[in-house]
Order: sequence, then C-alpha cells, then structure tokens
Amino acid sequence: MLLHTVSRSPAHSALRDCLAVLGPDDAILLLGDGVYAAIAGGEGAALLAGSGATLFVLEADAALAGVQERLLLPGATVVDDDGFVALTERYGRQLAWY
Amino acid sequence: MTAPAAAGRKSILVASRHAHPGSSLPRSALDTALAAAAFDQPVTLLFLGEGVLQLLPGQDSGAAGVRNLRKVLDSLPLYEIETVYADAAAAAAFGLPRDALPPQIEWLDAAGMQALLDRHDHVLGF
Repeated sequence: MLLHTVSRSPAHSALRDCLAVLGPDDAILLLGDGVYAAIAGGEGAALLAGSGATLFVLEADAALAGVQERLLLPGATVVDDDGFVALTERYGRQLAWY
Repeated sequence: MTAPAAAGRKSILVASRHAHPGSSLPRSALDTALAAAAFDQPVTLLFLGEGVLQLLPGQDSGAAGVRNLRKVLDSLPLYEIETVYADAAAAAAFGLPRDALPPQIEWLDAAGMQALLDRHDHVLGF
C-alpha cells in the first residue's frame, strides 16, 4: 500500500509514470499543479478514471488553482491538511511524483 | 527632428505556457506584458499548453498569499491589452469549461498560433 503524491500538471509525464506502476491497493493524492488532473473531462481525469485509482485532492491547492469542487472528477475525495496526515498514516509509505 | 509616436512602437507577443501556482513564470509573463503596455508598446498575450490553466476562475489565492492571476487577467483592458489569445486544443485537453473562461479570449488552433507568432516584431516566451 503506497500513497502516490502527484504535483505536476497532467501535461507532464509524472501522472502517466505513476499510473504505470500503480498497485491495486495504492492511492493517489493530487497536490500542487497535480490538482489540474482532477478536472472532469480533461485527459488527466480520463487516465485516472480508467486506472480505477483511489483518488484524493488536496483542498488548499485545488482552491488556489481554481479547481473548484464542481469541476472535479466524480469519486475524487477532497482532503485538508489533517486528511493528508491521516493518509500518510494509513498508507505508510509515500512516493512523490514531480 | 521629432519622430511620430508610432515610429518607436514594436509589437510584442508574450507567450505563457506554464501553470500557476507551481511556477513563477506566469506571473513574470503578466508583469512583462503590463510593463510593456505601460511604455505604450502594443502587447499581445498568448496562453498555450499548460498556460491555459491560468484562465480558470475562482482562484482562491488569499490563504497562500499568492496573486490571483485571473483577477490580473480580467484587469488587462485597463492597461489597453485588449486582445488575449489562447490555445483551444490545450483547453479541451485539460477539460476547462469554456463558459467559465474569460469572454474576451480569442481561441486559436495551431495554425492560428503560428500566424500570431509570425506577425509580431518581438516574441517572448515564459
């Protein structure tokens, strides 16, 4: 069980590289410019939906980027900083994609 | 000898192709455009690739102490930067809802962007 953090926009290879090695019990947390991948209808969101990954989006970074909740891919869970900490506890190991 | 005011004017294209807030380049692009406009130079802005992500509304920048780029964009007509161009294919690829984007944007395809680059005296990439 790994928590993958993706902090680059879906135009970069980070998201694709992450999805290529994603395990069935892993989860992805989008933060920084990574939050743009959660916009429903975008290519990043299509990749994420197709992968079946458990998906989290960091609230503060989404707000900063203008990725409002109504734009999000259904199934994405918004977490605040405390939620981020809880995820690191639940998943134990963390791999950063940037 | 007094040259006509228009003689020293060179058209400038500022091409912005990075996402905010992960990079400071978008802000530098806008600052450059505003500075050129302040010196009465005709400036055109082009958002391409990832740069189109700067156009999303509702950027809540207060908590992070970062400037809300969309608000700056909306103020561009005050600086006589009337025409802003953007990459239609990139906006579609990122799933940006067209109705949420600034109405003054003129959307271009690749050939349109190529033509835009071609007809400016100076082109600056950010």
